[in-house]
Amino acid sequence: MSNPMEQFVVKPIVPIEVGGIDISFTNSALFMMLAVAVSTLLFALCLRKRTLVPSIAQSVPETIYEFISSLLRENVGVEGLKYFPFIFTVFLFVAFGNLLGLFPYAFTFTSHLTAVGSLSLIALAFNVLIGIRKKKIGWLRTFMPRGIPMALAPLIVPIEMISFLSKPFSLTVRLVANMTVGHIMLKIIAGFVAALGVLGFIPVLFNCCIVCFEIFIALLQAFIYTVLSCIYLGDALHEH
Amino acid sequence: MPQLDFSIFPSQFFWLCVSFFLMLFIMSKFIIPKTAEMINLRKAKIDADLAAAEELKQKVEKTLEKYNQALKKASDEANASLQKTRDELNATIERRQQELTQELNAEIAAGEKKIAAAKQKALGNVEAMVEELTPLVLKKIGFAKVSAKEIQTALKMTENK
Repeated sequence: MSNPMEQFVVKPIVPIEVGGIDISFTNSALFMMLAVAVSTLLFALCLRKRTLVPSIAQSVPETIYEFISSLLRENVGVEGLKYFPFIFTVFLFVAFGNLLGLFPYAFTFTSHLTAVGSLSLIALAFNVLIGIRKKKIGWLRTFMPRGIPMALAPLIVPIEMISFLSKPFSLTVRLVANMTVGHIMLKIIAGFVAALGVLGFIPVLFNCCIVCFEIFIALLQAFIYTVLSCIYLGDALHEH
Repeated sequence: MPQLDFSIFPSQFFWLCVSFFLMLFIMSKFIIPKTAEMINLRKAKIDADLAAAEELKQKVEKTLEKYNQALKKASDEANASLQKTRDELNATIERRQQELTQELNAEIAAGEKKIAAAKQKALGNVEAMVEELTPLVLKKIGFAKVSAKEIQTALKMTENK
């Protein structure tokens, strides 16, 4: 039986080094690019013929569009619609990353702490930037909510800071853990197929069910990642 | 676990930034405007249709109101004209009646006058006849010497009684 963790190994495809830092184009990077290419191609195809009464293909991007915009309106408010492209891209990037990883021999970059962590860092930086842009110096109130006595500041500020920084961390770990577990499970059960010989069809059937379930999980986790990003964006825009 | 290998972080971070911002660019420049365009067009069309429907509804209501007003006006006019005709007829009838009454009264008065004249005449005749006949009757029964003056006085006395 092969090692179920083998599928997560990042292998360089084109080694690149800039100033002593290794930024090789890896299989992970390849799938990030594929997520961009596939989502763009799919959407471009769906939007090729646009009519007032949408065709089935056209209704796919429109449904996602309406879905994300309602998500933003509910969690952030109408002012959140300004950041629609960002949230829209986050959702599609994660969703396609998850879904592409389900293909055999594919690499799931969303199962990597470093990859999803980077995305969460981008989201965090984005939230901090628009928070500072909107509230200016008042943004620091995030760490010291109004109505709390100054004496409690030494206690509250570190707690709020930890809570602030734990948001991207929890986002990342949730997605990574879900993706990793799903793929390990698929791999382990697939390992049984050869081991069981004639009875190998049983794990195959089982795996088919798991793949369906994983498709659901892939979309659900993308959704959760997006909803939480929206909520954090809302926190950055409003006082709590 | 390869997931915990942080030596690949620079590469992962770099390529994630590249792909994410590339995707953000493509989405915000091409895909989202294209999708939004149709959604907004549809929304505008639906809104315009709804507004047109509302406008038509108001028009219908206005027309209906006008119709009702016209109907009411016509009915009022008809009633007024009916009333006027009725009043006129009543007035005519009354006038005619009065005229007739006056005519009849005049005729009655004239008739009465005639009757009175005839009666007067008849009574006058009776007096004359009495004056004429009385001496003859008196003569026959033996009172020959009664003068006409006496007779007239007696007559007057009877009349006064």
